[in-house]
Amino acid sequence: MPDQQKFQEKEKTTAPVEHPEQVQERLPIVSDDESSKHFFGEPLVGFDPHEITGTLIVIEGMDGSGRSTQISLLQEWLESEGFAVQTSGLRRSTLVGRDIDELLAKNAVTRLTLALMYCTDFFDQLEHRIVPALKSGTIVLADRYIFTLIARSVVRGINRDYLSGLYAMALRPHLTFWLNVRPETAFGREFRKAQAISYWEAGRDMSLSHDLYWSFVRYQTMIKREFEAFAKRHDFLELDGEAPVSTVNKLLRQRIAEQLGIRATKYTPSSALAHLWR
Amino acid sequence: MVEGTDGSGKSTQLYLLKRWLEIGGYRLHFTEWNSSPLVKSATRRGKQRRLLTPSTFSLLHAADFADRCERQIMPLLQGDYLVLADRYIYTAFARDGARGCPEKWLRNLYRFAPVPDITFYFRAPLDVAVQRILSGRPKLKYYEAGMDLGLSYDRPESFRLFQARIMDGYDKLVESDNFVVLDGTLPVNKLQRQMREIVASKIDLKRFAPRAAEAE
Repeated sequence: MPDQQKFQEKEKTTAPVEHPEQVQERLPIVSDDESSKHFFGEPLVGFDPHEITGTLIVIEGMDGSGRSTQISLLQEWLESEGFAVQTSGLRRSTLVGRDIDELLAKNAVTRLTLALMYCTDFFDQLEHRIVPALKSGTIVLADRYIFTLIARSVVRGINRDYLSGLYAMALRPHLTFWLNVRPETAFGREFRKAQAISYWEAGRDMSLSHDLYWSFVRYQTMIKREFEAFAKRHDFLELDGEAPVSTVNKLLRQRIAEQLGIRATKYTPSSALAHLWR
Repeated sequence: MVEGTDGSGKSTQLYLLKRWLEIGGYRLHFTEWNSSPLVKSATRRGKQRRLLTPSTFSLLHAADFADRCERQIMPLLQGDYLVLADRYIYTAFARDGARGCPEKWLRNLYRFAPVPDITFYFRAPLDVAVQRILSGRPKLKYYEAGMDLGLSYDRPESFRLFQARIMDGYDKLVESDNFVVLDGTLPVNKLQRQMREIVASKIDLKRFAPRAAEAE
């Protein structure tokens, strides 16, 4: 799939009309140059990136790639190292988290509306939880980020520039890991979890196949292609999600330790999490 | 499509226009800003708990509008209906812009919206508009008064300052978005006559006339 555009390039997709004098009036807190270091596009309204002392770490990957397992382990490790940790994830906002659950359950929503609801959910968490945590020096582990949200909408035919524009005010993570697995592997793992595959994770709204397995594989393959493009553009740290949990975890810890400037320490999970350490 | 600040008389005028077209038997649909049941509970929760920030405020309204757009406005336009909208995306441009959302971001956010054939903008002097609202309402709501902007602790004063900013926002859109500017202080029937003339001259109403089969 061609590498259509970068987030920054969305600046060039001209809005119908621009008012240069108006743009002048509302000068952002930081310069354009600096802003692109912290954001994908425009800076978040009323927010000064200099106040950030924490670290934003994103774990991306499809359903069944082992994201939540790794996040639980990382949280325990970081806390044992004395860091304050907070997690975030999709549909967890106070503002619209539950509303999205309901919309999905009823399948009562069109793709654009759903995309905007997810976007609201994202910014509510960003502004009310992630940013305050980062300002207080906390490490935020994000279970998925804007990349999943953009990819899901792109494969449903929503314009890519449009989506990049929506998330232009999102904070750039310090590290983005991508747990890459084959859809076939993910299917087995997901099925084992609940003895079922959900309507949405199989992308059944897209009428790809009446066969659940093929629908899942095709849908997740489409998403994966989007991720391959993101990975190059946004310096994803790609890890083999099919490797043993402990191996993936070790690689994650090494890179995170480097980012935090601590020594990569040994870690074995406590008895509460030992079951994850397969 | 009508736009204007609160208290500019736009809703009354649009209602009269709608009556005129209804009585004439034209196929039409009327839609209001922020009216889809889909996001109502979220908006209410956000307002009650004061969770809304300029970006989430804006996004929630966009989600609401997208819902109406995808389910009503676009299919009806396809099916040759007249669509009357009380407020449209320009409300978001003016109001969310006044809250500090970047213009470029807002323009992109609403890129999916069909461009109106006519946009009426009712301009009333700030004092008139503010007075109309204040006299009709016992208490201004938090977001309505723009209290989240921290312009003033006094609600009526904050409302006034917020409306002034919104009005500036609208004024900047007049040319770029081809607004038909009407004087909101004119008598109601005079204004309505102007509005009907403009609609009749700019829109081929025959297209929306009752179909032969339906007329029988």
